[in-house]
Amino acid sequence: MTKTAVEIHDLVVAYNRKPVLWNIDAHLPAGKIIGIIGPNGAGKSTLIKAMMGLLKPASGKILFFDNPLDEVRERVAYVPQRESVDWQFPVTVFDVVLMGRYKKVGLFKNPGKSDKEKAKQALEKVDMYQFRDRQISQLSGGQQQRVFIARALIQDADIYLMDEPFAGVDASTEKAILKLMKEMGEQGKTVIVVHHDLQTVMDFFDWVMMLNQRLVACGKTQDVFIEKNLNDTYGGKLTLLNEVGQILSKNQMPQREK
Amino acid sequence: MIEFLSFLKDPNLQYVLWGCILLSFSAGLIGCFAYLQKKALIGDAISHSVLPGVAIAFMLIEVKSLPVLLTGAFVSGIISQYLVVKLSEHPKISKDTAIGFVLTFFFGIGIVLLTFIQQSGHAGQSGLEDFIFGKAATLVQKDINLFIALSVIIIIVVLLMKKEFTIVSFDEDFAHTSGMNVSMINKVMTGLYVMAIVSGIQAVGVVLMSALVITPAAAGRFWTNNINKLLIISSLIAGLGGGIGVLISYSAPQMPTGPWVVVVLSVIALISFLIAPQTGIISKWFNQRKNKQKIHNENILKLLYKICEKRGNVQCSIDKNEAADRYSLSKKEFFNKLNRLNKKGYLEYQINNQIQLTKKGVDEGQRIVRLHRLWEAYLATYLNIAPDHVHDDAEAIEHVLTPELEAKLDRLLDYPEADPHKAKIPRKKKI
Ligand SMILES: Nc1ncnc2c1ncn2[C@@H]1O[C@H](COP(=O)(O)OP(=O)(O)OP(=O)(O)O)[C@@H](O)[C@H]1O
Ligand SMILES: [Mg+2]
Repeated sequence: MTKTAVEIHDLVVAYNRKPVLWNIDAHLPAGKIIGIIGPNGAGKSTLIKAMMGLLKPASGKILFFDNPLDEVRERVAYVPQRESVDWQFPVTVFDVVLMGRYKKVGLFKNPGKSDKEKAKQALEKVDMYQFRDRQISQLSGGQQQRVFIARALIQDADIYLMDEPFAGVDASTEKAILKLMKEMGEQGKTVIVVHHDLQTVMDFFDWVMMLNQRLVACGKTQDVFIEKNLNDTYGGKLTLLNEVGQILSKNQMPQREK
Repeated sequence: MIEFLSFLKDPNLQYVLWGCILLSFSAGLIGCFAYLQKKALIGDAISHSVLPGVAIAFMLIEVKSLPVLLTGAFVSGIISQYLVVKLSEHPKISKDTAIGFVLTFFFGIGIVLLTFIQQSGHAGQSGLEDFIFGKAATLVQKDINLFIALSVIIIIVVLLMKKEFTIVSFDEDFAHTSGMNVSMINKVMTGLYVMAIVSGIQAVGVVLMSALVITPAAAGRFWTNNINKLLIISSLIAGLGGGIGVLISYSAPQMPTGPWVVVVLSVIALISFLIAPQTGIISKWFNQRKNKQKIHNENILKLLYKICEKRGNVQCSIDKNEAADRYSLSKKEFFNKLNRLNKKGYLEYQINNQIQLTKKGVDEGQRIVRLHRLWEAYLATYLNIAPDHVHDDAEAIEHVLTPELEAKLDRLLDYPEADPHKAKIPRKKKI
């Protein structure tokens, strides 16, 4: 039995009181590559954001190595969706990667030699070192993704949460990212990845979490990635759940009695 | 002209001038982050919202003491920002709506209060209306000291927290997940915006002060892709705009300063838009012209090379009328281009309208022909494009291939002898 990296306990996340994730309960094992799959609007990004503390859950809790996020922040790194930032921002590839160290560097100080060395190593890992002085506005989609991954690598975390790192990247980048993830898995790191391409799920992930507003299944890929679960996950919206959500939102009712 | 600038010798004015330049400088500095966070309207919201603070502060103490008035302005600016944030948290109210509402509401109240003060016939109220459009000429040394202090604070805080401001402006979520105190950083930034705006309201006025915060960064962005340079350029542009505005205000005291500052800044922004390197439309135009020139030069050398290649002697003599007939330009234009190539040392004129490529010309012509044929070979081999379809593409690509790419192509194709049309790929002889 492997250690549990993340424990999600009875989690409900709502936007303006309309729940988009209902009662999620899951254990994610450490040292594995874990896929989160589900149709558009299933709440995958919402789940990642709630895990990273960017959204406050309506109820429930999330524990990393048995601790709330705030106590283990340094051990959890986040790779946001590529579209979430403005790539015209006037900084270079190297600047962006260094941002992964800003918190450790501390207020009023500048990144030092060791930080720059770490940035260099991270860029080499994603094969982007030759682009270090490029403006980020001049990167392709796959290169942008690699920069974001390098920025997370430099944080030296134990758990990595990535929102669609494979979206819109070419085959060679996909291969490179996957290789990197496998390496991270071998080093005992836990990599949690929102993913869209069902064709590759079997090859990429040790473990999958199937999501559509509620948790459909969570377990070893070969056990849960089966037709029945796929039908449950992708077989249309749960209209009743949606209607109840609308009512909660309209009447500003809490989803739980406090 | 000398007379016009003679007032510059006045030490008091010099002091005011430098004070205003510094104040504008710091506004342009912090303004970069407002611009990068795409919060251009925030500046407007703050500057309009400080007016009721000024009015209420005056009503409380009944004298025109600048430190007190500015404190009132600061408080009212902060309250307005708090309201914008709170209002836009409501799902039915967008940020724009919240800003528009707060801005007009505060400004309206400010104007009502100012009118009320004026009608009360209060002694010492005169000049309060200058806060609307600004009048730098009313500043005295004592006021300036206060502005200098505020500006220096802004500059120091920005320098100390540049790293934090940058990461929050670029990727707030990531900053948050890496454990930084994003809400505190945002509060400091907002505090600095309000400070920068408050220190400018007497010189520039509340209505147009936001231009001093946003326009310099927007103009500076045309000139650089580097955030450090952007901070410097934006501050300098703001300082220039502020300085010129003050000079105009002094030389024509009946005129408000704010509109002049905005006019100067807008002209700088417009010029940047037109002439900035790479992004400016004029330099784009120049670039295109240069490219066209380069393409013609290379095509002509290629043509001449190919004529001689057929004759079996790369440095043969060619009749220039004959060559012109085979080129897409009119004779006159073609001869012009030949003149240019001659000046650059690519070809020489001989008697009887004959021309001949120089050694340099042969090399260049040969290089283009080689790139053309290499690219055709590449397309045919790697992209499986039919040999009769590769020519047009190669016509364009031959002008952009760098020596590094050429070497790569050569290696990839294993140094081919001929292109898909069986034409020999010419190479320099090994010496
Ligand atoms: N800021 C928001 N305010 C209100 N509703 C939101 C917000 N963000 C997302 N939602 C809603 O929450 C639900 C889940 O969205 P989420 O972005 O988590 O889906 P996803 O699974 O990541 O989808 P995709 O595959 O398209 O990325 C959707 O119905 C969406 O409309
Ligand atoms: Mg998503």
